[in-house]
Amino acid sequence: MKIAVCAKQIPDPAIAVTYENGTIIRPDEQVLDDTDRYGIEVALQLKEKFDAEVTVISMGKLGTQKGIQQALQMGADKALVIEDESLKNSNSLMTSNVLSEIAKLAQADIVIFGTESSDGYSGVVPQQVSRYLDLPCISYVKGIEINDETLLTRQTITGSEKVVMPSQCVISVTASGVEPRYPNFKDIMAAKSKVVEQVDISSINLTAEQNQEFIEIKSISNDKSGEKHIDDGEAFNLIIEKLKEIKAI
Amino acid sequence: MKSLIIGETSNGTISSGTLELISKITQEGLDFKLITIGSDENPKIGSDTFKNTYMKLNQNELSLASVANEISNIIKSESINLVLASSTYVGRDIAGFVSVDLNASPISNVVNFKIDGDNLSTTNSIDGGESDYLTNVTSEVKVLIIRPKSFEASEIELNNNYETVSIEKNNLSVAVQDIFIEEKTGPQLEDSKIVISAGRGMVDVENLKFIEELANKLNAAIGGTRAIVDAGWMPYSQQVGQTGKVVVPFSIVSGILSPSESVSRKSSLPSLSVSSGLLGSAPAS
Repeated sequence: MKIAVCAKQIPDPAIAVTYENGTIIRPDEQVLDDTDRYGIEVALQLKEKFDAEVTVISMGKLGTQKGIQQALQMGADKALVIEDESLKNSNSLMTSNVLSEIAKLAQADIVIFGTESSDGYSGVVPQQVSRYLDLPCISYVKGIEINDETLLTRQTITGSEKVVMPSQCVISVTASGVEPRYPNFKDIMAAKSKVVEQVDISSINLTAEQNQEFIEIKSISNDKSGEKHIDDGEAFNLIIEKLKEIKAI
Repeated sequence: MKSLIIGETSNGTISSGTLELISKITQEGLDFKLITIGSDENPKIGSDTFKNTYMKLNQNELSLASVANEISNIIKSESINLVLASSTYVGRDIAGFVSVDLNASPISNVVNFKIDGDNLSTTNSIDGGESDYLTNVTSEVKVLIIRPKSFEASEIELNNNYETVSIEKNNLSVAVQDIFIEEKTGPQLEDSKIVISAGRGMVDVENLKFIEELANKLNAAIGGTRAIVDAGWMPYSQQVGQTGKVVVPFSIVSGILSPSESVSRKSSLPSLSVSSGLLGSAPAS
């Protein structure tokens, strides 16, 4: 079994995101998107059971590759990454097109994602990748039981449902059900010698195109960002007053 | 602009998110076709004012890819150039699949859009709701994924005037082994105008009774942080953040019960936060 798991490098979430002409300004040092840790954990649990090979796939500014290293430190075997000026500010379709091509290069049977990235949050890339690869899509997986066969529990609007994981498929994993592992010192040192291969854009079949023209970014006024009060025992009156103001009650 | 709304059923009728899309498209004066996806038996989703096709799912098959095939064919054959879906589990799955068939990247997190002749511009919510990102959509077919509560849903008189298409499984379908229907009481996170959100500051699961009482009085939904959901204090369906569920109440009363600052900020929810010395010492957000 070969598994490709997506690891997106994002700016440190503790620092406010900044933009230039509608594009996120990405520092050289970016970190692993926390959402992807859940997908990586699922990949590693499958690796342990089925002796699978886990390849991290990633697209975007590489910089110091700190985020890629964090994914490898968790236990992935190697990484296939791509960075190209023409991919800057890619829409979700371009992103999924590129990641699908990289998953093909990894010869992946199973492709795993978080549900949505923390900086782009389009929330459709796993579904698009499944379409490009013509594979079943098991989205919003919130639980995994690995025995002789693997059962995935996916969230639905009415509750949840269980499916047997097909031998080839795309999975998106929510922040639940698995607890991402923390690498120890040995894992951190071992990751340094793992292969990080850069894919050249000329080697992939990119057909998706940009379909957005940036106009502007407008800040939302502070009245939506919240207020802070210390409860003196009468806070419920304030809550009711505020809810009445916005006609919620 | 010929439009298609990808709608959903909920409790035997049209979901609130779908009604919001119908209201918006009606305000824009556009003709539209509605496709409603669901597994309800004989839902009341028809109307004399618009055409609705009910794509009925077999609950025992995960077959949204098959639904997407049908929808893509309709979009192509009827030269539809505007497709709207709600930002729900089903809406995002279908919009993602269809966008590949149409080679038209969907625009996510749309909170408003304007049509001027053949041109369409969108306002998208970014940075946890702290900014709006305005963009022109240039693809021939424009696929928009709309955040819930972006538009006011108007009352629509519904009847049984609709056609039903049963969805057959295909090579991408996956058999469902088990279905768990979660018992839900009171307002739900995705529909409620008010969310009372709790965190570790509640100190003990027993103290959740205080927010239940408050939520009952305000007709509010109850949400919780991942920490207390992981601790088993609340079911997963009530987790706010990193679940794929988009929650957009008009107001969230948080911090009272002390969710952490990062969770409430990234959840992009307008909030009123109250720190209570009685209930815990976690920082108010």
